[in-house]
This record gives sequence, structure tokens and C-alpha cells, in this order.
Amino acid sequence: MIETMNSEGRRRDPLSFPSLFSIALMSLLVLSIPANAQEYRSGWDIIDSGTSEDLYSVESQGSEIWAFGENGIMIMSFDGGQTWELGESLTSSDLTISSSGYGSFLTASNDGTILVKSTNDSMWSDITFDFGNELIHGACLTGVSEFVIVGGNGTIWTYEMQEWTNRSVSGLDLLDVSFLDSERGIAVGEQGTILFSDDGGETWDYRDAPTEASSSRITDVEFFSEIRAYAITDEGGVIKSSREINTAVGFLWNMQYFESEGNSNNLGENLTSIEIATTNKFLLSGKEGYLSMSKDGGNIVTRQTIPLDNSTSFNDIAMIDSFNGVAVGSNGSLLLTERSGEDEQIGFEVMDFSEFGNFVDYSKGMLIDGLYATVNIVMFGIFLGFFLGVSLSMMKTSPTTLKEISQKRSLTVVRIAGVIFTVIGTSLLSHLVPIIRNLGLDGWEYIYAPIGIINPDGITGDLQFENFLFLILGVSLLLLGILLVSANGEYKKSHFNIRGRDIIWNPWGVRPLNFIATIYTDIFRNTPLIVQFLFIHFGVQIGALIGDPGAEMLEDSSNFVLSFLRDDILSNRACVSAIFALGLNSGAYQCETIRGAISAIPSGQMEAGRSIGLNYMQTMRLVIMPQAIRICIPPMGNEMVNLVLNSSLAMVIGYSELTRKAKLINAVTFQVFWSYGMVLISYFIVTWTLALFLRYLENKTRIPGLGISGGN
Amino acid sequence: MSNVLTIVDMHKTYAGGVHAVRGVSFDVNQGESVAIIGSSGSGKSTVLRCINRLIEPTEGEVRLRGNLINTPSADINDVRSRIGMVFQSFELFSHLRVIDNITLGLRHVRKMGKKEAEAEALEVLEKVDMLDRKDAFPGNLSGGQKQRVAIARALAMKPEVMLFDEPTSALDPELIGSVLKTIRGLADEGMTMIVVTHEIGFARDVADRVIYMDKGVIAESGKSSIIDNPKTDRLKRFLSSISEED
Repeated sequence: MIETMNSEGRRRDPLSFPSLFSIALMSLLVLSIPANAQEYRSGWDIIDSGTSEDLYSVESQGSEIWAFGENGIMIMSFDGGQTWELGESLTSSDLTISSSGYGSFLTASNDGTILVKSTNDSMWSDITFDFGNELIHGACLTGVSEFVIVGGNGTIWTYEMQEWTNRSVSGLDLLDVSFLDSERGIAVGEQGTILFSDDGGETWDYRDAPTEASSSRITDVEFFSEIRAYAITDEGGVIKSSREINTAVGFLWNMQYFESEGNSNNLGENLTSIEIATTNKFLLSGKEGYLSMSKDGGNIVTRQTIPLDNSTSFNDIAMIDSFNGVAVGSNGSLLLTERSGEDEQIGFEVMDFSEFGNFVDYSKGMLIDGLYATVNIVMFGIFLGFFLGVSLSMMKTSPTTLKEISQKRSLTVVRIAGVIFTVIGTSLLSHLVPIIRNLGLDGWEYIYAPIGIINPDGITGDLQFENFLFLILGVSLLLLGILLVSANGEYKKSHFNIRGRDIIWNPWGVRPLNFIATIYTDIFRNTPLIVQFLFIHFGVQIGALIGDPGAEMLEDSSNFVLSFLRDDILSNRACVSAIFALGLNSGAYQCETIRGAISAIPSGQMEAGRSIGLNYMQTMRLVIMPQAIRICIPPMGNEMVNLVLNSSLAMVIGYSELTRKAKLINAVTFQVFWSYGMVLISYFIVTWTLALFLRYLENKTRIPGLGISGGN
Repeated sequence: MSNVLTIVDMHKTYAGGVHAVRGVSFDVNQGESVAIIGSSGSGKSTVLRCINRLIEPTEGEVRLRGNLINTPSADINDVRSRIGMVFQSFELFSHLRVIDNITLGLRHVRKMGKKEAEAEALEVLEKVDMLDRKDAFPGNLSGGQKQRVAIARALAMKPEVMLFDEPTSALDPELIGSVLKTIRGLADEGMTMIVVTHEIGFARDVADRVIYMDKGVIAESGKSSIIDNPKTDRLKRFLSSISEED
């Protein structure tokens, strides 16, 4: 035993795979350097209110708008808020409460001063009432001159037909009330009090506030529609109620968690009012110059810039319609918006893509999406292709011929099988004859018959694969049957002498598995990949055939891998089609590569395996394949890199992989060189990573003592 | 003595039409070692491969302990596991370590567990004096070592008869000794074996019986003493041509 043991150690590449992979990832991160910020302009315009008193509330009816404030000040606009004039002062109390609807305006102060006016009437009527020692906090019109008042210690009064009725409940202070129509209303108050009435305020039922808001002061409520009501708390929270399957709005209340605030339920602002523009769009006002809006029901609440400094306290907002609105605040501040108060992005349309930083900033997200999409189809395509390649190459190298199969059985059995096959084959074909005849083909046009019988009814018809299957089975069984019937027990090849040439006819030498695999590889290697993409996606619609039932099957899975399969792969039809097109095509090529490697294994290896009693499949699996796969890692690397590069053809079926993303980027930016150049780099990262992985694999699986080692 | 192997009127015609074996018949008894000698192309290796059906004989019968094995109904994998075979070019599985080469058949044909198979493998490796290289890969072994591992691989299956197909022809002269020593050891233990060889000295010393084949037929056979006293002219010419080479 003179040989040294150290020659058996597996060699390692000096540049190991992990370190190279991290370099590749770093190059990717270069693509995501943060970009310069955008500029914004406030969506609010300053309007001269003609007063410097604090304005507490604002109401609109059509283009008539009234704002009420300190010391009984009342201002009005009849042109949608553009110009304002001072109204006649009717009281010296602070008008903190207001309501509008049914063509009427109402304003009130804490001490019980109540003024009501109809739009047709220019005069305010004074309906001041003595509520004892209780302060009032909210009011809401339920008709032209009917309304509900709420206040301290559960005070509720209704005013109908010029009659006051006490509807008070025993309880805490009520702070606001809002009615959807003359019947249904919500009143809110301290410590999470929510009351609901469906008879115009005569009787009230308690509703549960969300637990997170059960001790908050609910200061403002808006009963917006049949499907939505919102309210705010003094802690800066928003609660909302929606119509559920079994309950109406106002029954169940949920705390809104703000995605934009890290899923907190608190905006951290001193809110004064909420105004609803549409079911999911609302505006919030607050102290210290706070105006914000949400367009998605409160998931994302964005503070908007204002044209005033932050010392202004905003007290109320009134929306004239879903875009135009008025906000009022301290010292006579009055703002008007035509875009729900949303900031305007300045210079978006003229973004300069000729600056590389801007261009990269715009395109990096799309490129990374495209890269992810490409990696998805490539990964699954490689798996499918390799599986097919191994199976097909084993089928192609399988040595069993018809002769060997037949020789194992007695001649009678062979002939009976021949008769059965002939009968089945004939009946299948005779079943197909009328179908093929109905296609209306003539002469050489019959070469297109296979496509015709799969889809005889054109665009409206379903695909009928069974006819195609019957055709293949029928032809093969008929030929096989005739061959078996004609067997004489010798299974010899026949020689024909045609003009002095020896023509050999040897149907017994046909290897069935090899035959099937050969047809498969011939079809996929002799048609263009781009046509295969189009045919598989739009023609066969594998995406719909396999993706849809697959996604349905995994509908309820919460497992990470399965839900990834469902959401990212199976529910994207183009993705499924692309995987199949790439995998089926690559399988045909990989089959030939692996077959070459199998041929390179000395025949003695098979003999040695068989001589110790392993059967054919065991020897293939345990002896031949492990050695063949090692041999074919370099050419398989070629195939896999080809597969990655071919994946760019998936753009023809509308799959948003890298190349398609480059086209889209190019369409916006017109930067041709940069768009395609960046895609080039991204592809290089993917293929290079793959190549490094294969190099690593090759080293890792090297068989010690085999292969050329020329030393240094 | 009972017959382990019976060959009756074996013929083999290759696909190209070469009639390599033309009616060979012989028996091998329990514990007997038979050497087949002859010049290249005389059909020795074909006979050997026809015995475990790595090549299908065209005609004739091969019986293992009286059971016909060259029929489609015989379980060929079982038959092969009962006949050990050692090849001229070793044919070790290069991707497996020495010990895994030996346990492969035990685990997948004899369906033994991993531990059991390894214990068995260590036993046969000890017999061929290769225990210290059990974790080496075949590529790192010398020719003689490889052939001894190949013998161990066949032995591990506990065969009823061993076939050696020119086991030393691919070896350098200085490596031949260790392999021949191993085979001689097996013969002394009473292993039934057929050895196709060019080592005339080895055939004379070890074999109980020598079969001389020429042009596909058995030209002469008998006790190993026929090498010293050949009766036919053909064997005489063969032996003298070999001694000239030496």
C-alpha cells in the first residue's frame, strides 16, 4: 500500500460557489440605490374668508356654503367657496356645531343657541332652547326643520313639528350625532359610547365599540352610506363600520389599523373631524396644521401639505362633492380644494430619463420583477427538462427489441396478441375515418389532419385529445398487430434484393420505448421554440388546462411552498405555459446529451452490474446513471444556460419576464441603450450564477482518480 | 461429486455471422477448478459469457445444478447472482468507494440492511487482503488491487461457481502475483471455478482440469498434466508458441 491517501481528497475550486454567488447578488443590489425625492405642491388653495375669528364648522348644500365660528360669526359663499361674505350676526355664542341636509342648514352653540335656515329662505330662525345645565355637543338634521341634539350626560332631544321631546338616555356625555336618513342615526360619546337609532332618534340602542377604542372619546361620527360609517377618537384613531353579510352598518365596529403607520391604530395626531368623500376616501383635519386623506378606507393615510404654517388648527372640512371641498380653521383660515386635498406631484410628466439616476430609479423595480419572473420559469423549466431528459434518455437507450419481447412468449400467444392488436387498431381507425373525412381535406392537406381532429370546431370548440390519441394508438396497434400475426417464430430480418442492392427490412429490431422517445425528441428538436411557446400557450392552453385546476386544488393551503406555487406559479397561466414550453423543449435536448453520456460509459459496467444480479433498471439507476450524469454536467450546463436565454421568448405569450419588462421600460423612457443594456446585465447575473453553480457541482461530484489531471 | 455446471453442445453465432463457438460440452464438478486456455479468438471468453448469459448462446444447454438456465422462463437475475464473474478490465463502479462496490449487490439483490452488508463486505475484503483500502475510490487503486476488489465483489454474493475472464491479462507482470495468489487461495478453499487464462503456469499448478479450445471447439481436455504432455499437435503448437514468447 504505497499510494498516498491525500490524492483521494476532493479538490475544491479556489473561488468557492458561495462567495461568487454573493458577488452576483451584490451586483443586483447596485441596481437598487435610492433615488432623488419627488417634489409636491399642496392640493389646497388659500381663500380670503373676510374674517379673522376662529372658524369652527362648515356645511355645504350644493354651491351654497356656510361657515360658523367664534362670537357667532357666520360667513357664506354661493359660488362653491371662491368668494365669501359676512352674514348678519344673530348671536354672540361660539357656533361650534353645525349640520346640513334636506335643503337646510343648522348651527348651534354649546349653551343651547340653535339657528336653522332653509336654502330657499335667506333668514335664520332662532330655535334656542334651554337644556337645563347640560351643554350640547352635536346636532343633526333629520328633515327640513327636524333635528336631533345630543349633549352631556346622555342628553338627547328631538325637534319635530316644532315640538321638543326629551329622548335622553342615562349615560356619559354624547359628543356627536349623524343620521343617514330620517330614520337611521348614530350618536357617539365618551368612553367608547356608540348609540344607534332606527326610528329617527326616538329610541336608542347601545352598540359595542371596538375593544381598542372602548375607553376613547369618540368625537366625530359620519354615517356616510348604507355600507359605510366612520368615526374618530381623540387619541387619533379611526373606527369604521361596514355592512356585513348579516348585519347593517352601525352594528359592528372595527378599529382601523394604518399600514402607512406601521400597522398602528393611532395616527398620533389631535384629530378634530372626519369628512367622507366616497365610501373609501376620507379626509381628516386636526390641530397643528394637520390635514390628511386616505383613498383606501384607511389602510394608507397620507398627511398632505398645506399652504399655511402649522400653527393653524383645522376644525372642520365640508366636501361639496367627491373632489371639491372646504376646510376651516383658526384665525379665519379657509382652504379650498378641487382634488380632495391631495398633493399634486410636480414635474411628473416631464421626468428627465436622460439622467441615468432617474432612469435606473424608474426601471429598477420593473427589472427586479422581471428577474424574479424569469427565475421562476427557469427554475421550474430546468426541473421539468431534467426529469424529462433523464426519462427519455433511459427510454432511448433501453435495449429491449420487439424480437426479445416476442421470443419470451410462445408463438400462439404472439399471434393471438397480433390478432387482438389488429382488431383494436382497425376499429379505432374506422371510428376516426368519418371524423377525418368531415374535416374537408383534399390530397396533401391530410398532413394537417392531426391538428384538425384535436380541434375540429375551430375557435369555439373544445380540444379533443382522445381522437388524436386514438389515431396514434390505432396506427401503431395496427402495424404492430400485422407484424405479430405474420410471425413465424424466427423473428429474422428480411433481405430484399432491389437492383443488386441489399435492402434490409427489420421491424423486429424496433425498440418500442426508444421509438416513442425518438418521436418526442424529433418533434421538439425540429420545430422552433417560439412556435412551441405560441402553440402550447394559445393553442393547447396548458396554462389553463394545468394551472387552473392546480390552483384550485391548492386553494386552502397556507403552507409557504404550496401557497407560493398557487399564487406565483399556478394562478399565472402564462407562467405555467412558459414552464412547460421551456421544460418540454429542453427535455428533448437534454435527452440527447444524457444519452451521449450513457454511451460513453463502458459496456463492461452494465455487464458487471448485471453479473452480480442487478436487473436492468437497477443497474441503470445505481451504476450507469450516476456516472453518466457526472460526465454530462458540462454539456448539461450548456443546455441549462440555453434554457435561461430561451426564456426570453416567453414574452411572446405575454409573460412579464425580463425582456418584456425591458420593452415596457423602453416604451416609457425611450432609453434604448440603457434599457436593453441593463437587461443584458441581469441575464448575465442569472446565467453566470447558474454556471458557477454547475462548476461547483462538477467539482463536488468529481470521482477521485478519474479524468485528466495534468498537474501544474 | 455432483455436477455444478453442465454445458451441452453450446453454439454461438454473432450477429455479423461469426460462428465463435461450435458445439462445446463439458461439466464442472463441485469444488473443481477448470482452466480454459487457447489462443485469441478461440471462443474461450464467449463460452464463459454464455454461461451467465451476458451473451445468449444460439444453441445448446447450460444447466446450473441440473436446472436449465438459458430459457426465457429462468430468473436470470437470480441465476447471475449465483454465478460470480470477474472481468479482464475489472469493471469496478468508479463512482463508489471500494466498500460500496461490494455492498451494492448485497443491498439491492440480497436485500440486506446497510450494516449487515458492510459486515459481510469487510469479511470478503479481508479475504482478498484489501481491508485497509476500503474507503478508497477505484480510480486511486493499482490494477492488482482493483482486480482483488472485483474478486471480492463477486465473492460477497456467495456464488456457487466463479467465472474468471482472463483476470490477469490487463495487469503488469509484477502485479499478477497478488491476484493469482488470491485465486489460488479460493481454489484451495474448494470454490468451484472456471478460469479463462493465458497463464499456463498458473493453469498447470492450480487447475484440476485444463480445457484447450481452438477455433470454437474443445481441441483437448484432461488433467492439468496434459500441459506437460500434450497429445494433440494443436496444443503442442500453442504451448510452444507461448514458451517462445516467454
